[in-house]
Amino acid sequence: MSDCSKEQENCLAYVQYIREKTNQLLEVMGTEPLHEEELDDHALIELDPIGTIAQSFGHILEYLNETIRELQVAKDELQAIFDATGVGISIIDQDFRILRCNEMQRSLLVAPGNEDVTGRYCYDTYGNRSAPVDHCPAKYSFATGQPAVAREMIKRGKYFQVVTTPFAWDENDRVTTVIEVSLDVTEKKMAELAEKEQREFYLTEKSKLATVLESLSEGLLVIDSDGRIISANRSAAACLKLAETEMIGMSVATLLPGLTINTKMLQMVDLPYTPPDAPERQLSLNMSPLLDSEQKYIGRVITFRDSTEERKQQEMYHRTEKLSAIGQLSAGVAHELNTPLGSILGYARLLLKQENLTQQQREQLAVIAEQAKKSGSIIQALLNFSRHAQPTQCRLTECDLNEVIKSALCLLTTELSKRKITLKTDLDIIPKVCADPGGIEQVVLNMVMNALQAIGKQGEISIKVRHQSGGIRLEVQDTGPGILDEIRSRIFDPFFTTKPFGEGTGLGLSICAGIVNENGGSIDIARSGSSGTTFVVILPCKEAGDA
Amino acid sequence: MSSADTAIETIELDILGQVCPACLLVVLKQINLYRDRLRDGKARLLVLTDHRDTTRTVPASAQKMGLCVEVRKVSTYYEIIIGGKS
Repeated sequence: MSDCSKEQENCLAYVQYIREKTNQLLEVMGTEPLHEEELDDHALIELDPIGTIAQSFGHILEYLNETIRELQVAKDELQAIFDATGVGISIIDQDFRILRCNEMQRSLLVAPGNEDVTGRYCYDTYGNRSAPVDHCPAKYSFATGQPAVAREMIKRGKYFQVVTTPFAWDENDRVTTVIEVSLDVTEKKMAELAEKEQREFYLTEKSKLATVLESLSEGLLVIDSDGRIISANRSAAACLKLAETEMIGMSVATLLPGLTINTKMLQMVDLPYTPPDAPERQLSLNMSPLLDSEQKYIGRVITFRDSTEERKQQEMYHRTEKLSAIGQLSAGVAHELNTPLGSILGYARLLLKQENLTQQQREQLAVIAEQAKKSGSIIQALLNFSRHAQPTQCRLTECDLNEVIKSALCLLTTELSKRKITLKTDLDIIPKVCADPGGIEQVVLNMVMNALQAIGKQGEISIKVRHQSGGIRLEVQDTGPGILDEIRSRIFDPFFTTKPFGEGTGLGLSICAGIVNENGGSIDIARSGSSGTTFVVILPCKEAGDA
Repeated sequence: MSSADTAIETIELDILGQVCPACLLVVLKQINLYRDRLRDGKARLLVLTDHRDTTRTVPASAQKMGLCVEVRKVSTYYEIIIGGKS
């Protein structure tokens, strides 16, 4: 073999070697081998395939190293985040073994001395149990492949919210790993419990307050800054004779027109109030500002009570006191005057018997005797008055009021027959009253006599008796001219009279008031106007159930 | 065309009619030659090929070197644009 053919043979072997090595490298790169027809030997050598691929591998390696460095940095960053995060994180496999856990999870749930938890069971390490509990979120995630949330778990005396999320699956799509995130919600839970406790405390206090307000005997209204009623208790509804629902939202100025709501504070103010379809009542009222927790004005609180009966009682008490004082005085004066008047009358009558008197002397002596007699009657009335002004002198017995009225009217038959006055009686069957029959007869006489005098010549007197709650109601109504408003409050005062001087003592109604008071009842004017007057006497009665 | 586009040099490599893996070797040689500029985004390599396998082998290799690759079908051939960091 010549040197030339030997060299040519070497060249071919060299090219073949290059082609084989190139194909090996191309295989590594994932592509098919070269075919001679697509790249001849000359083009192959010129392309330098091994050098080209080697250089490309160098670039790939450089890029790979660059990526590895970046991944390492990312891994370090992720580890830092994993450890620095405020929640505990565990990675748990399907056998409930802990693959990894961060520092927070360790500090929250791992008992001191057990720092190395990798490979240990999570239910043992975190929950000190021998198996996962039924509501374990990891168990749920493994079973269903779905994320799970346990809103409240108590571990080592702390409250946790635990969330598990599937993280890896096997070839059968079964979850093989879950990430469990534990969030310490102890502070939030404690705050919720404190808030709940506080809310319950406030609700209890509110309930207590509502009970107190509802049980108050006084009416209570709460109004807002615009004067609208926002709350009313049961007593307010009863006192004002309106339903609570009717009052809510109503303007207080509409409900109580006489109230000056511009004033912040009111104490014991008397206010007239007319309930729907009922006579006027008197309210005794207090008003205070309502302040919020920052002492800002947000409305007013009004408390009130019906003082109508109380005022009547007070008037009665004052009248009784007055009567008693006048009675004592009258008794003393009458006693002192009775003897000298008796002497004057006696001597006047003695002188009248003398025969040597002139006609003028006789007439003058007759006037003295007549006036002394009239004075005696006045003194007798005073003595009667003083007797009834002393409460201890009354003897109460069970008596039939209707019989007492009939007995009194018998005494008035003559007086009634003289005038064109009709007397009507409307006497219901009633229980017996506890009263002094003599005194009550005197009351009926005085009231009817008073009516007769008020009517004058022609008119009508009605006497009505009814049983009502709290006693027996006796009404004496006349068709006289009525009583003026300005003297109504004085009508029961002793010595107060509207009759001309010398015709009345002003003791009739005072005596009535005294007697009624002694009998435990009350007397008042129910109505008075141009069409007449109605006096009402209420007497206590013996109810069916009384012993 | 934006000013950014005008600043990028386009290196055209027409390998129409050639087949893989010869195409891959030709493209790799060009990438090796301009690799730094291609990675910096200063240049891009526009490969014109009508061999379908090339649109698979070239992008796979270029991406392993950390380069961005885009393949477009243009009438009867493909354009493979290589350049920029992936």
